[in-house]
Amino acid sequence: MITLGQQEKNTFLEAVNKKSGANILECYQCGKCVSTCPVSEFMDFPPREIMQMVKLGLKNETYMANSTWFCLTCSACSGRCPREIEIPHVMEAIRHLSIEENYVSNDKKVKEIRRFHDIFLDMIKRYGRNYELRMMAEFNIRTRNLFKDVHLAPKALLKGKIPIGHESTKSVKAIQKMYKLAEKLEKSKKS
Amino acid sequence: MNKLTYFPGCSAHGTSEEFDHTLKLVMKTLDVQMDEIPDWNCCGATSAHVMTENLAFALPLRNLVLAEKLENKTMGIACASCYARMKVTKKEMDEHPELAQRINSTIIEEGEYTGSVDVQSMLQYCYETIGLETIKSKVTKSLAGLKVACYYGCLLTRPKNVTHFDSPEYPMSMDYLMEALGAEAVEFDFKTECCGASFSISNTDVVHSLSGKILEMAKASGAHMIVVACPLCQSNLDMRQPDIAKMLKTKLDIPVMYFTQLMALAFGFPKEELRFPKHIVPVEDALSNIGKIQPAPEKAKKTKKAVEAESEVE
Repeated sequence: MITLGQQEKNTFLEAVNKKSGANILECYQCGKCVSTCPVSEFMDFPPREIMQMVKLGLKNETYMANSTWFCLTCSACSGRCPREIEIPHVMEAIRHLSIEENYVSNDKKVKEIRRFHDIFLDMIKRYGRNYELRMMAEFNIRTRNLFKDVHLAPKALLKGKIPIGHESTKSVKAIQKMYKLAEKLEKSKKS
Repeated sequence: MNKLTYFPGCSAHGTSEEFDHTLKLVMKTLDVQMDEIPDWNCCGATSAHVMTENLAFALPLRNLVLAEKLENKTMGIACASCYARMKVTKKEMDEHPELAQRINSTIIEEGEYTGSVDVQSMLQYCYETIGLETIKSKVTKSLAGLKVACYYGCLLTRPKNVTHFDSPEYPMSMDYLMEALGAEAVEFDFKTECCGASFSISNTDVVHSLSGKILEMAKASGAHMIVVACPLCQSNLDMRQPDIAKMLKTKLDIPVMYFTQLMALAFGFPKEELRFPKHIVPVEDALSNIGKIQPAPEKAKKTKKAVEAESEVE
């Protein structure tokens, strides 16, 4: 039998609470977040169930779900939550913990989303600013979907909607140093 | 003369160049000096905060530090996503000085953050600092006849404890701004429903679904066009509209314009300056409604017989 809050130390719940600054035990499962969330229909488990899973210490299931990766951080849920729980922060905390602990979901869509974010961050590292065309091209190549959105290209490029060239900051080296220092800070936090 | 520090964001010279350009035009008319932050960097947008913690704060923080060197009290940001990241970063740095100190001293070399610059979206700046009366006074070509659905997206007014601007559920600032230009802002229930935002490239099906709902609702609300204040919203609703129309098996043909383009139009700037060719869904048809004000329906004249018949009914 599990008594919420009093079972053998729920380190997962503690970790998520600490990282998000929220107190998940306050959630009384009203479901308002589910009806508000624009992407809940696409999630393996909608926000309410993720909260319950964390309360029950179901770390593996929570990390493997696509829910936190589909969260748009649109804050519609937290605006309406009667307990004023910062649900987007909870989703973010779970995501960051899963990255830190090296859990990678096998879900194809989650892998593509993560790949997109990696490419985006790589673009900023190279140019200090985003280079949209290269980002879209790299995403297509790395997800082996060469012709995705290609039908949009002629109109978008001709109209100048998506620029062909790119800009860089003058201090690209400062940005690259920033990346290295941020990584160092993450590592020193863990040790 | 008002002075404003300006952060353009990565899309300003690309996918949302029409926003950046018309914004600069209207700010000049409104006597606002815009000082662009020299050598600004990408704020990290969605990707940085989804994947990292310290870098997600460091990237916007560098811009905040650079902004402080310009000595203007306010920084205006066009892109809603950049605005959200800078505003959240400022809030965290102001509320957790130890975190600010750690990130500032370890990662940022450009200077020390003091929190002296206020961060606002350009919509907020127009509504609160410039004010509707000033904007109305610069209108030379009223947009009367044009019905618009004002789409705010999810980041301009949410979360409430970060933006402190307008309503997170049913905002009206853009609506009132459009009315000051002479247009009619229709009642629109999907004002702050997320369009799918950053999933534009990595999870396009979700964008088709969410943006599709917004487009259908705008059409059902009787609007000629949708007005936006966010580059990603504009891109999702405009560039992806043909695909969405195909998926929904319906005709949409509802153009999506930035509020600054309509302001520039109302202020009398020539069409060549307003970047109409950049739109995937053409804007000309919707704009041709300007000047065609619907006359009030004429009351049908009752015949004498009908009046008598009515008075007999009792």
